[in-house]
Amino acid sequence: MPTITLTNLTKCYDGNTEPSVNQVSLTVEDGEFMCLLGPSGCGKTTILRMIAGIEHSTSGEIAVDNLVVDSVHQSCFIPPEQRRIGLVFQNYALWPHMTVERNVDFGLRLQKVPAQERKERCLDVMGKLRILEYADRYPSQLSGGQQQRVALARMLAVNPGVLLLDEPLSNLDATLRLEMRAELRRLHQTFGTTIIFVSHDQWEAMTLANTIAVMNKGQLQQIGTPDEIYAEPSNRFVAEFIGNPKINLIKLKESNDKPINVASHILARQSQAESRLAEVCAIRPEEIILTDNATSHTLPMTIENIMPTGGSWVIELSFGEDRLFHSTQSRPKWREGDQINANLPTPSLHFFDHDGNRLALTDNDKELDNLLLSSALPSHKYANQKHTNQPYAKQA
Amino acid sequence: MLTAAEQKKPTLWQRARHLFAVARHEPANLIGLVLAIFFAYLILAPVLSILVDSFIVQSGDEARTHQDEGSFTLYYIVRTLYSRISEILLWQPLYNTLAIAAGTVVFSMSIGVVLAWLVNRTNMAGRAWFATALIVPFMLPTWTFALAWTTIFKNRTVGGQPGWLESLGITTSNSVAYGYFPIVFILVLHYTPLVILIVGNALRRLDTQMEDSARVLGAPSRTIAFSIVLPLIRPALMSAALLIFADCIGEFAVPYILGLPVRYDTLATGLYRALDTRQNGVAAVIAAVIMIIGVITLLIDVRMMKEARRFVTVGGKGNMDRLRKLGRMRLPASGFVGAFVLIGVVLPLLTLFLSTIMILPGRFTLENFTFDYWIGSNLDTVALSKGILLTPEFWQAAWNTIVIVGSSSMISGVLGLLVGYAVLRCSFKGVGSFLRQITFLPYLVPGIAFAAAFLSLFAVARGPIPALYGTPFILIIALVAEKMPFASRSGIAAMTQLGKEPEEAARIAGANWFSRMGKIVIPIQAGPLATGILLPFISGIKGVSLFIILAIPSTDVLTTYSLRLLDYNYDQAANAVVLMIALIAWLGTVLIQKISGTGLAQGLEN
Repeated sequence: MPTITLTNLTKCYDGNTEPSVNQVSLTVEDGEFMCLLGPSGCGKTTILRMIAGIEHSTSGEIAVDNLVVDSVHQSCFIPPEQRRIGLVFQNYALWPHMTVERNVDFGLRLQKVPAQERKERCLDVMGKLRILEYADRYPSQLSGGQQQRVALARMLAVNPGVLLLDEPLSNLDATLRLEMRAELRRLHQTFGTTIIFVSHDQWEAMTLANTIAVMNKGQLQQIGTPDEIYAEPSNRFVAEFIGNPKINLIKLKESNDKPINVASHILARQSQAESRLAEVCAIRPEEIILTDNATSHTLPMTIENIMPTGGSWVIELSFGEDRLFHSTQSRPKWREGDQINANLPTPSLHFFDHDGNRLALTDNDKELDNLLLSSALPSHKYANQKHTNQPYAKQA
Repeated sequence: MLTAAEQKKPTLWQRARHLFAVARHEPANLIGLVLAIFFAYLILAPVLSILVDSFIVQSGDEARTHQDEGSFTLYYIVRTLYSRISEILLWQPLYNTLAIAAGTVVFSMSIGVVLAWLVNRTNMAGRAWFATALIVPFMLPTWTFALAWTTIFKNRTVGGQPGWLESLGITTSNSVAYGYFPIVFILVLHYTPLVILIVGNALRRLDTQMEDSARVLGAPSRTIAFSIVLPLIRPALMSAALLIFADCIGEFAVPYILGLPVRYDTLATGLYRALDTRQNGVAAVIAAVIMIIGVITLLIDVRMMKEARRFVTVGGKGNMDRLRKLGRMRLPASGFVGAFVLIGVVLPLLTLFLSTIMILPGRFTLENFTFDYWIGSNLDTVALSKGILLTPEFWQAAWNTIVIVGSSSMISGVLGLLVGYAVLRCSFKGVGSFLRQITFLPYLVPGIAFAAAFLSLFAVARGPIPALYGTPFILIIALVAEKMPFASRSGIAAMTQLGKEPEEAARIAGANWFSRMGKIVIPIQAGPLATGILLPFISGIKGVSLFIILAIPSTDVLTTYSLRLLDYNYDQAANAVVLMIALIAWLGTVLIQKISGTGLAQGLEN
C-alpha cells in the first residue's frame, strides 16, 4: 500500500519569482488521513495537483511507494493517467454530458473491466455513497452534496490507493458539512485508503484529519496531530492561524518603558533567561482564568464586552491599553463594565522569539513539557524541522 | 532515497529534460506546433507574398519598368501613390472608402442605439416581435439590398432592363441611383442590426441597481442616461463602431453593383479592377493600403478594449425588466421601428421577389406576371431556356456552394476548436500567443485583398503544392483562412469556458488523449462546435469577394452564378438566385438558434 514521500518539493510558476511551494518535505504513511492546512495561496492545492500529476515540480521529488513519479534530477515524469491516484476537485468537475452512472463507471470502462463486474462495482460504490437513486440523472440535476458524492464515487470506483481531496467541505452548507464529514470518516475506515486533503478551514482540518500539515507561503510550518498543533504551535504563525477566537498575543519587548501592563505582569513572573529572548507571548482565550478574588498571580481587568456565540461566550478584557479575549463554555456571571481578576497560568503561556519560533519552556514547567512530549510526537513528523524555523517577519 | 547530489539545485540540462518529459505527455504541444506551421503557410505566407509583390516586377511589366521580371522595383509604389493616375488608382477610392465607412458608422450607430433602447428598455408596442424582425437585415447578404435598389432606381446611365421608376416615367438622378448615397443607405440598413445586437446586449447586462442608485440620489432621467448608462455602454458602442468600420473598408459587393456605373470606386473595387486588368503590382499596393487601415483599426480596438477593461462590472441581480413608459409615444415609437423593418426587410425582399415574377420591370399589370423565371421551360431567352429551379447550372452552383462552403466551415470549425485547445493547453507560451495572433490576422485583411493574396501565392505551383487556381481547393483553403478569426476566437472562448478540469478529471481516471478528446472534450463542446461550423457557413454563402476572384465557371457558386446572370442582364433569374441564397442563410440562422438555443447575438459578439 502506498506511502507518499515528498522531498524538497518546489514549484515555481512561470513569471513568479517567489516559489508557490518551497522545499517541502513530508511523508504520508499508508492509511493516513492527512490535511494540508493553510491560508489561501499558501501552495497547498499546488502540492495536491503535483502529487496527482496535473502540475509538474520545479525541483525536488515525489515518490509513491518508493517509485519516483516526478523528479527534475532524474528527468522523470509519470503523467496523471498512469499514476492511479484519485483526485476530487474542489468544484467536482463532473462531466456534464454523462449521467451519474456513466460518470462513475468511466474509469472502469477505460480499464476494460468486463461489463458485469463493472456494473457490480458501480452499484456497490454508488450504494455506499448513497447515490444509487440518482444513477440516471445528469450532474446539473443534483445538489452540491450529491454532486460531491458522485465525484467521490467516480474516484473510489477505480479503487485508487491514494485519494486526494481539494477543499472537500468548502462548497457545502452547514448541515451537509456535518453529514459529509461523517461520510468521509466512514469512507476512510471502510476503504482504508490513504487520504490527503487540502483545506483553509481549521474546523475542517481539526475534525477530519489524523495528521495536519500547516503551511504558509509555500513552506511547511508544522506537522502533527490536531491536538499537538493546537497545544504546542511550533511558531507564531501556527499559533495565530489555529484557534477560534484567535490566540491572545502580548508583545513583550516594546513594553519595557511602560510601568505596568500585561507584558510586565508576565515578565515579572518569569525568572529564566529564555523569557528574556522572547519577543511575543501568547495564550489561548479559554486558558485565561477569571476570578473574583485577587491574588499575587492575577491581574485586575475590566470586562469591556460580552459576546454570546451560541453555547459559548467571548469576553473582551482590558487592562490599560491592552486587550485580551477570553472564551468560556459557561454563562458568565459578570456584566460589561465589571472589574475582574484574570489569571494567566504560566503553563498555558507560549513564548516566541524574534523570528517567531517557539521558545522552550522554562524550568518551572519541565514537568508539563515532558508530559506533552511523551503524549504523542512521532519522530517522522518532524523530518522537516529546519523548515519550520522561518523568520517571523515575513509572515506578518 | 535522495542522494546528496540531488539536494543541489537542478542543472539547466536536467530541467530541460524534465520539461521535455512533462511535455511529452501533453499532445497539445504537438498540435500547437503543427497548427502554427500550418497557419504560417496558410495565412502569413499569402499576406507576406502580397506585400512582397508590391516591390517585385510582375510578369508582363518588364517593358514598363525596364527591369527583369522578379527584380526589386519601386515602380508600383510610385505609380499608385505619386503618379498622374494615382488620384484614380488610390486617393479617390481611398477617400470614397473612408467616406462610406464613416457615413455608415455615424448613421447606423445613431439609428441603432435608438432602436436598441426602444427594443430593450421601453414598453414600445410589439417589442418581442421587433427584437427578431430588426435582426433580419443582418442575415441577408448586403448585395440583396443593392440589387433591390437597382431594381427600383436604375436609370438610363446603364443599359439592360430599366428600373421600375424609369418604366413608370420617373427619371432618377445618378446621385440617387448610384454612388455614395445608395451605398451608405444600404450599408446602414445592413449594419444597424449589428449595433442593436451589441448595444442591446450591453443594455441588458447593465445592472439596474446602478441606475437605481443614481435615481435614489435624485438624478433626473437625462442625467442618468448621460452620466451613468452611456459611459457604461461606451465600450460596446466603440467596439460596434470599429467592427462596422472595418467591415465597410472591405465591402466589395455593394460598391461593385452601385458604384461602378458612375465610376465611383472604393479600395475594394479598385483592387478588383486592378486585378482584372492584370496590374498585379498595383493591386498589391492597394491591398497593402487596405491591410494598413485594418491594422490601425485593430490597434485602436486593442487600446479601447484595454481602457474598457477598467470598468468591467460584475452584474448584480441583473435586469429587473424595468421598462420606460413611453405614454403617448408608444405607438409612434413602434411606427419608427416598423418603418425600419419595412425599409430594411420587407421592401427589398418584396422588390426582389416581384422582380423575379415580372416580365417587364415596373409594369404592374396582371399579364406581366409569370413564374416562368422560377419554374418555366422553353423560354425564348438565349442562354436560359428554363426557370432557375429547373436549370442544372443552378443546382450545380448550389451543390458547389454547399460542398465548398460546407467543407471549409467544417474544417475551420474543427481547426478553431483545436486552436482553442492548443492555445490553452500548450506548455510553450510563445506557440499559444502566436496561434492566437496569426489566426486573427485575416480579420485585418478584407476578403478581396485576401483573395488577391491567395491568387498571388497559389496561382502557380510552388514546391510540393501544385497550382491550385481553378480547383475548389483554393476556394476551400481561402475560405478556411478567412473564417479563422471567428473560428479560433469562438474555439478559444469555448475551451476557456470548458476549463481544464473536466479533462484533468479524465486524466486522473486514466484516460489517454484520444479518450479525453472523443469522450469528454468534443461531446461537451458539441453545441459550440455546431455553431462554430454553421455561422461561418452562413457568412460564407453570402460572401462575394473571395469567390469573385478565385472562382472560375467550373467552380461556380451561387453568388458568382447570380452575378454572372446579372452581367448577362438576366435580372429576374439573378434576383431569384439571390432570394434562394437569402433563404438558405435564413434557414441556417434558424438552425443555429435551434441547436445552440442562444441566438445570433452571442455568436456574433465572440
